[in-house]
Parts: sequence; C-alpha cells; structure tokens
Amino acid sequence: MKEQFTARLLRIHFGEADRWHDKPLYEAILAKCVELGIAEAVVFRGIEGYGPSTRIHRSSHWSFSKDAPIQMSIIDTEERIARLTPFLDSMVEEGLVAASTVEVIRYVRAETPAATAE
Amino acid sequence: MLQPGQAVKVTIYLSDGATHHGAPLYSTILDFLFYRGVAGATVLKGVAGFGADHHMHASHLIEISDRLPIKIEFIESREKVDALLGKLEELAGTGLIEMQETTVAKPAQLTKSKQPLTPAHLKIEGKAQMMRIFISEEDRWKSKPLHEALVEAMRANDIAGVTVYRGILGYGAHRRLHKDKPLVSTHHGSVMLSAVDTAEKLRAFLPLVDQMVPEGLVVFSDVDIIKYAYRALETNAPKPAQE
Repeated sequence: MKEQFTARLLRIHFGEADRWHDKPLYEAILAKCVELGIAEAVVFRGIEGYGPSTRIHRSSHWSFSKDAPIQMSIIDTEERIARLTPFLDSMVEEGLVAASTVEVIRYVRAETPAATAE
Repeated sequence: MLQPGQAVKVTIYLSDGATHHGAPLYSTILDFLFYRGVAGATVLKGVAGFGADHHMHASHLIEISDRLPIKIEFIESREKVDALLGKLEELAGTGLIEMQETTVAKPAQLTKSKQPLTPAHLKIEGKAQMMRIFISEEDRWKSKPLHEALVEAMRANDIAGVTVYRGILGYGAHRRLHKDKPLVSTHHGSVMLSAVDTAEKLRAFLPLVDQMVPEGLVVFSDVDIIKYAYRALETNAPKPAQE
C-alpha cells in the first residue's frame, strides 16, 4: 500500500551524553514520539561533530567518551510535528532543531496473519 | 587506427588441422594480420561443424578430431581489407572468407582516453532534490539486504550519490510497534539512505523504489547543490604547483 502526502521533517542535533531525567535524551524523545504516534523517528550516531557549545563530540575508543553527536530524524504531518515541538523546547537544553517541509511516500505492507504473529 | 563509422568485418573459416609450412594455419593468418597492422583479430574454436567436404567434424567423436572448425574474425576499414584480401585468399586455401559491412560504434583503445566522458550525473548543480529512504536493516530484496540492492539500483541509474546511515534506535513504517513495550521492538536496524540528484532523475527512479520497498518511508526535499566534485576528473587535471 502506498500513500503520498506533504509532511515536516525535523532534524534534532545534540550529544549522546545529554540526558532527560534518568535516561538518554534520544530515548526520551523517541518515547515521546511513540506516545504522540509520530510516523517515523530514527536516531543516528555521528562519528564526529560539534554543536552550540563548540565542544567537539567524538566517540573515541581510547577515551571511552560517550558523547558522540546524535542526530534524530522525525517525520510526520505538520499538525503532529507541531504537537511534538513544545516538548522538544523543554527537553533539548542544548542543541539544534532544523525543520523542513518535505514530500513523503509511505509504503505499508498489507497485514498478513503471519506478520502479526511475528 | 580504427575509427568509428563504416567498416568491414571479415570472417575466415578454417579447419583446426590445416597447416601452413608446418605451423597451424590460423596462427599464420593471425601473424599476417598482426604484422600488417590490423586493429585486432580473434580466433574462435568451434565445437562442431562441416565444410565444403561435407564431413562432420565434432569434438564428441571417439576418435580425436583434429579438424574442428576455426573462425578468424577481424574488423578493419574497407581500404585496408581490400589491401589484405589477395594474400588472405591465398593463405585461407580451401577455407571460406566472408565479409560484411558493419559499423564501429567505439573502437578499442590502448589506454583510457585522457578526456574521460563525463557521466551525465556529474553535471548537476544548483537546484536539486534529496531523497531519503527509511527502511529496516533486515529488509531484503532478492536475497541481499535491501539497502545494498537500492544502492546498486541507484548506481545503475546514474543517481549522483547515495549514503547509507545506520540508526542506533528508531521506529516507523518499516517497524511494527509493540504496544506495551514500544522501545523493545525498535532497537535494531533502522537504516536511512540519502540520495541527491535532480528532481527528474529521482522521480524516474521512483517506480523501482515502488517495486523494491515493501514497507518504509520515502522523503523528498528541495536542496541546493553547492559543490559536486569528482576526484577522477581532478586527478586528470594539471596538478597545482603546491598542495
């Protein structure tokens, strides 16, 4: 099944060490996306980068640093994304949120009994 | 040197056993063509055939067949072939010589030409589009990972470039959600492919995406290409005096 619509793509940049309450910030944001029923959210870990604080985020095996740059891509309709952004305002203390309007094609596999059993 | 355009393809049919002054006839003819500067020639060995004598020669006969068919092919300009023909007729003896008009689309070259043809996808600049495809790492297409298959398909379609990113966490159209433990089922294998090319090229590629992606999200956005540099072109360009 294929559906096509105009949507918003959010890219949120922050560090892997950033936390929200007792868990990593990216897990907290992802959980919020799940809660709001956002269509698509993926977390990427960069190998090097820097952000607003100009500290270099680097995941190095030598220093056992856990502060690699994190980028989250979140995609849904404008309304749903608008419901997410207030939470981002409070959750992301230091970081960058970029938004763009995109055209989306979504492929959904027809649910088969075998697939639901999975 | 052979030029693109009209040329003549010459085929000489011989028997494997035929000799010329003790040497195999085909190698004598090949030497002759070589020293007369023919652009290239190929000797092909048949597995079965018959000739003017109407004797069947085949490799599966119990007796070792030393009279299997041999074919020599070469392509040259009409003038050159006319100049060679007399001697060839003499060398071929009882064999058949056939000529046919042909068109050289691209002559063979000794080395790659210094000015490589710039592939069409290397000429993009300015307004373009970015296509992001969100799929699962476990998705497969004809026994190989879907993201690999997509990269190959894009390459075959001259899409300017594509990068595959592996997510550390995620969910979406390509992952079914586990209602009570939402994060458990989402831990592995979100993959994003990001490709940039002109809108037309990417749209033309879409039908293939339709076929290959059973589940996932394809996102288009407008981008400006600021720079697209191709290293192979740069290395051919004169090197700057200092790095």
